[in-house]
Amino acid sequence: MSVVNTTIKPEVRHRGAMSGVLTLGSLDGVFAAADVPGGEPVVLDLRSVEFVEPAGLTGLAVLIEHLSFKTDRIQLSLSGGSIPAYLERMDFFKAFGDRLETNIDLTPLEERSRHNPGTLQELVNFHTEEEIPEIIDRISEILQRQQYLVKERAAICATLSEICANAVEHSSSPFGAYAAVQAYHHVVSGRRGPGEEVLIAIADGGVGIRQTLSRNPDHAEYTATDNEAIRHSLKMGVSSSGELGRGGGLTVVAQIAARSGGSLSLRSGSGRVTTYADRTSSRNVPPFPGTFVRVSLPRLADRPQDGGRRKPARSAKTAGANAG
Amino acid sequence: MAEERAHRVYDLSSAGRMLVTRNVGRRVREELAGVLESLPRGGVLYVDTRGVEFMDYSFADETFGVLISRAAGGEFQDRYVVLVERERDLLENVEASLLQRKLALLRVNDVGESPQVVGSLPEHLLNTLQVIQQAHSITNSELAARLDLNHTAGNNRAAKLARLGLIHRRVETAAPSGRQYVYEKIV
Ligand SMILES: Nc1ncnc2c1ncn2[C@@H]1O[C@H](COP(=O)(O)OP(=O)(O)OP(=O)(O)O)[C@@H](O)[C@H]1O
Ligand SMILES: [Mg+2]
Repeated sequence: MSVVNTTIKPEVRHRGAMSGVLTLGSLDGVFAAADVPGGEPVVLDLRSVEFVEPAGLTGLAVLIEHLSFKTDRIQLSLSGGSIPAYLERMDFFKAFGDRLETNIDLTPLEERSRHNPGTLQELVNFHTEEEIPEIIDRISEILQRQQYLVKERAAICATLSEICANAVEHSSSPFGAYAAVQAYHHVVSGRRGPGEEVLIAIADGGVGIRQTLSRNPDHAEYTATDNEAIRHSLKMGVSSSGELGRGGGLTVVAQIAARSGGSLSLRSGSGRVTTYADRTSSRNVPPFPGTFVRVSLPRLADRPQDGGRRKPARSAKTAGANAG
Repeated sequence: MAEERAHRVYDLSSAGRMLVTRNVGRRVREELAGVLESLPRGGVLYVDTRGVEFMDYSFADETFGVLISRAAGGEFQDRYVVLVERERDLLENVEASLLQRKLALLRVNDVGESPQVVGSLPEHLLNTLQVIQQAHSITNSELAARLDLNHTAGNNRAAKLARLGLIHRRVETAAPSGRQYVYEKIV
């Protein structure tokens, strides 16, 4: 009996600043193709990937969880280069090593030094709210050791705690949620430039934002599409629970991202919404279960002292030219 | 004059320096509620957050939003919560929660210092509060006179402040005119 391999492959860009980068967006095609026939081997071809950002990593984690329900043979093709070492350092093989076959030998990687000051949180899988404080304490300690300001630590920790809490409280994901955080010594989002940037990513495999918000009839008007529901969820006081005081988490995270000159991006169902200090954009994406969150918090080289109400990092004009 | 109120100070940093999630907030709030209940009537619970590095919105709402909302519902009768904190970013999430809930809380830089309001309080109630703070203790008729209001209007304002837990209200029966309300500052 012959077995047909299904090969799926992310669409990483070949040109420009994001060339070779496994982003959440580059997984769209893979998500669309992930509805593979049950029981057949799947080849996940990552040979064109040269760089993985946290949202690409958490996206990949959820994808593999998803594929694991369908098949027990997932093959991962990697090019040489730095990717296998990076994945090892981010605990990717610790999480998935026993579920994957790879074209490279992982043993030498395990022996290599794991030290990397930019890794603020390796890929971590969590299931309950009780696990969150420990994650926060750990990253806060790392940030403190690296001389991040209290304000910056608060921004990173609040973002992580609110989004992680949402994933475990709202998503009903069968495998919990994944988070990863990485700091870069240059700006990676949009146009590369001087400065530093922290990227925070959290992904779950649950029911999605539209589904949870629809449970509250107060939001009926805003839940016709995934994009509308995501946009609505960002407003202060909007919560599936409908209780007074709830519905502040996403609003606060959007504010934190905007103030730092960064962005908050949510992918859920077939919608993807990104908000910046001065605008919010939405686009349709291939439907896939779960909610994927990416937050960019730049630490700009020319950071003003007030740290707060300053102009966004990119002017509306240049940002507009970069969009899409 | 308002007598010295019984008070306790609760150091919130004993619960942690990074306070996150509703889960942790719920636990801390129940502990605060327990301390509040153990105070004599008219007593003040100072919640000192100065040793806390940061709290997220969920924690702030679950702890302060819910506690203050229960207090405003009369659950702790005339026992009061006062925040000990200087003006800094940490207050943002507490403030956001109280604004959502249309509640307010007194804040002092240190125990014994004069208070500021955190949260949502309309201008006319803020004026009324200032008059009571300055007087330390004031009868309803005096308050009405100073605000240039009739007795009912003055009483309505003070009753709202008392319900929000920003002043103490008691009935004085010895007055020549029979019963009348006296309003006292809390701190
Ligand atoms: N990962 C997720 N999966 C499904 N739905 C989500 C997810 N994250 C957010 N939501 C939806 O978005 C709504 C708004 O989220 P937000 O964090 O702003 O408020 P909340 O979690 O309800 O309350 P709070 O954050 O104040 O505790 C949630 O009530 C839920 O319906
Ligand atoms: Mg939330």
